[in-house]
Amino acid sequence: LKINYFFAIVELMTDRSYLGEFELMLLLAVIHLGEEAYGVPISRELEAHRGRSVSVGSVYAALERLEAKGMVASSLGDPTPERGGKAKRYFRITKAGLRQVHETRRVLSKLWKTLPEPKWERI
Amino acid sequence: MKRDHPPSLATWMLEHSTPFGVDEALSGDLLEEFRAGRSIGWYWRQVVAACVVSWLGALRARMHLLVFALLWSMLAPAWKVLCDRIQDSQSLNHAWEIVGGLWVLPAFAVWAVLHSTFLWAGMLVYILCHACLGKAFRGKHVRRAFLVAPLIFSPIYGVTFVLANLYWYSVFANATLAPTPLGQIGDLRLLADVMRIPYFIALLCPLWAAIPRSTRNSQPLFIQSAPTESSLSFASTLDPFTLRRFFGLMVGAGLINAMLIAFLLCRLPGSHAPDFASLLIRAIGYVAVGALAGVGGTWLYWKSPSSPFREHPPLPFTLFALVSAAGWVWVPSMVIFSEQISAATAFIAMIGAFVLASGMRSATYFVFAPANRSLSFPEQGGAELFTESLHRSPTELHAYGIAIGLYTAGAALFTRSNYAAAAFLAFSAYLFAWKQTFVPIHDSDNKTQYKRAAIRLALVVLPAILVTVWALLDGVAHRNHEEISPAPAASNEQPHPDTKFASSAIGSDGYESIILLPRPEKKQIVAPLTAHTSLLAPATSRPLVIRFNGAYWYFQSPGKRPGPEAHRAHDNPLAVNIESSNFIPLITEAHQSLGSAIPLARCREIQVVIENRDRSPGAVALAVLLTDSVSPAKPALYLGQQPVSQAGKDRLAPRSAPVSEVLSFSIPDHAKIRRFDEITVMLLPDVEHSFVGPKIAIQQFNLLPR
Repeated sequence: LKINYFFAIVELMTDRSYLGEFELMLLLAVIHLGEEAYGVPISRELEAHRGRSVSVGSVYAALERLEAKGMVASSLGDPTPERGGKAKRYFRITKAGLRQVHETRRVLSKLWKTLPEPKWERI
Repeated sequence: MKRDHPPSLATWMLEHSTPFGVDEALSGDLLEEFRAGRSIGWYWRQVVAACVVSWLGALRARMHLLVFALLWSMLAPAWKVLCDRIQDSQSLNHAWEIVGGLWVLPAFAVWAVLHSTFLWAGMLVYILCHACLGKAFRGKHVRRAFLVAPLIFSPIYGVTFVLANLYWYSVFANATLAPTPLGQIGDLRLLADVMRIPYFIALLCPLWAAIPRSTRNSQPLFIQSAPTESSLSFASTLDPFTLRRFFGLMVGAGLINAMLIAFLLCRLPGSHAPDFASLLIRAIGYVAVGALAGVGGTWLYWKSPSSPFREHPPLPFTLFALVSAAGWVWVPSMVIFSEQISAATAFIAMIGAFVLASGMRSATYFVFAPANRSLSFPEQGGAELFTESLHRSPTELHAYGIAIGLYTAGAALFTRSNYAAAAFLAFSAYLFAWKQTFVPIHDSDNKTQYKRAAIRLALVVLPAILVTVWALLDGVAHRNHEEISPAPAASNEQPHPDTKFASSAIGSDGYESIILLPRPEKKQIVAPLTAHTSLLAPATSRPLVIRFNGAYWYFQSPGKRPGPEAHRAHDNPLAVNIESSNFIPLITEAHQSLGSAIPLARCREIQVVIENRDRSPGAVALAVLLTDSVSPAKPALYLGQQPVSQAGKDRLAPRSAPVSEVLSFSIPDHAKIRRFDEITVMLLPDVEHSFVGPKIAIQQFNLLPR
């Protein structure tokens, strides 16, 4: 990275563009759920595929980080009685998020292809 | 049975125990899941996890603030000591006497203002650092933080004081802070840490709500467009080679001038225990002198008739001066460290070169604009989705130069060649900064360049002053340590093989160190002290007289004794001229071994009889150190110092007989040693006299019984 102030190197390094494992799962869940992507179904989706419990708070924290990076956008829905009058917060993936997901998949696929076929599958 | 309501305590925790307040959507999601059949335990786990995640997120968002508050509060003990000195000053005491019984109010006001100044300065530095990163605070938050900090400091200070005395009174009763400001800053004992607590909290709380916002998000990182018309306002008619040559000449002239002036003017304070305020003022002066000298040297060449910059300046001189001054401010600290033969010289040179090159590259980028057109930046935004367009970096030859410079500097540091290490590290840093500095094209107009140079200089000045203070403190501490370091055993013993430092202080000519042994007097018989000497005999009142027959040591810092190559000669200090030939102060000591130990409790006073023929300018003090060399730790007792009389010090007077003088040193009743078998006399000249060995000879010691 080239920047005129060396102080800024720190900041740019923290704004890394690659995705973590949990972030990638979240983005894929948001893509899969489409218009119905809010906290509850996202958490259920992750639980179903990961096979273990997920903290809704950590889901929101990660989604807020992704929103700050511009990879997802959120909007509040209408309040409903079964939620105690609390509104749902719907998430949708942005163009930048979609690009990042594909870029991550491309890199991961290339990396997987470089590996030899696991021997344990033949046994 | 279907439950409709989750545990109310958990819900209350969710709504009140998170730093930002509860997210409505999160609480709604948890409620929805709970009503869908989740257990109470699940709800509790989710609430606790949400609180933990929320707090971790809040701390993560304020990591910079936490680290900064921690670092700034490290300075608090030194600041508090300074405040205490100011409050205890005589002028303020007179003012309180005038006020009379209401002195408490103005005294509290002064106390509050002093400590608030520290907090405000910290907040200002924090905000300025973020401004450099392109992050801005809301004005409302900043104003509130500046207002709140002094208001909450007083109660926090009071509570800390009360609690600390309640729980650790026994610890604090005998605790003291380190004597020097640097020691106070680095003091990590309980007393200093407790002092830091109110400052840490008073910095953290007001700035907690102030989250900086990035002001650069709307700006693309890389701009591919051509330079605008305003960006080319610095373009010159000179060819790039001439430009580079003369810019190099200007930088070189400034550097040489700054170093010359720094070598001539930057000196350690004469006092052995200077206060922080005087060191700070001295450091500010030195930094200003370094910057002005560098700029002045550049100005002379810039305006010389042979300079092409005189008629066709490629950029305004004031801008060049602002940019280059950010490098020259490091020169004084570098010079002071170099006089102590410290490896810090190299690292200071590296920092200065980096700052200088970074600023110079930024300011002169568009001067070399035609040559820089070949520079291209990786295209980030143009990559199509799903395409494979990884940027492949070209081979960069300058990286080899940087690496070679770094390795060579490391080798030079290993061999204690600090100047060579400084040169190579500075070269590497300069090259790195020059090659790695990117100048956004949209920030190229004159106003932005001036603003950026001024901000860079302002940001660099404070660290440069602090580093200069550090250099001064280190120099004074080093000098004091050399002066009171315990003397080794016998004067004629072989030097210790570990004394590598002594040989590093070799001058350009002459000897690395000198051991001067008195000429043996005819018919002189010096019997060793025995158990039946008068001093040891009970109820005696006769003093014990010991004729000096030891050696005089002349060596230089950072050595602690003459090196293995020391020149040995038989002569009297009154008859020889010994001077430093490498601008490093001389250390002069006289060592007398007693042969057997003397109980300290039987000795009331030591009189040192000297002969003085010293006519060099400057004062000399004489200090005495008693050492118990028999004990494994070789403990020593410092008896203090006495000024040597200046009478008869007339340089124009003809060579005359030496003046005899007796200096008395009382021995305390209780000391950390019980006996001594060595007497070390240290001759402590002031700065003016420090390069010449004093013409003072020790005649004898009179030990008065108690």
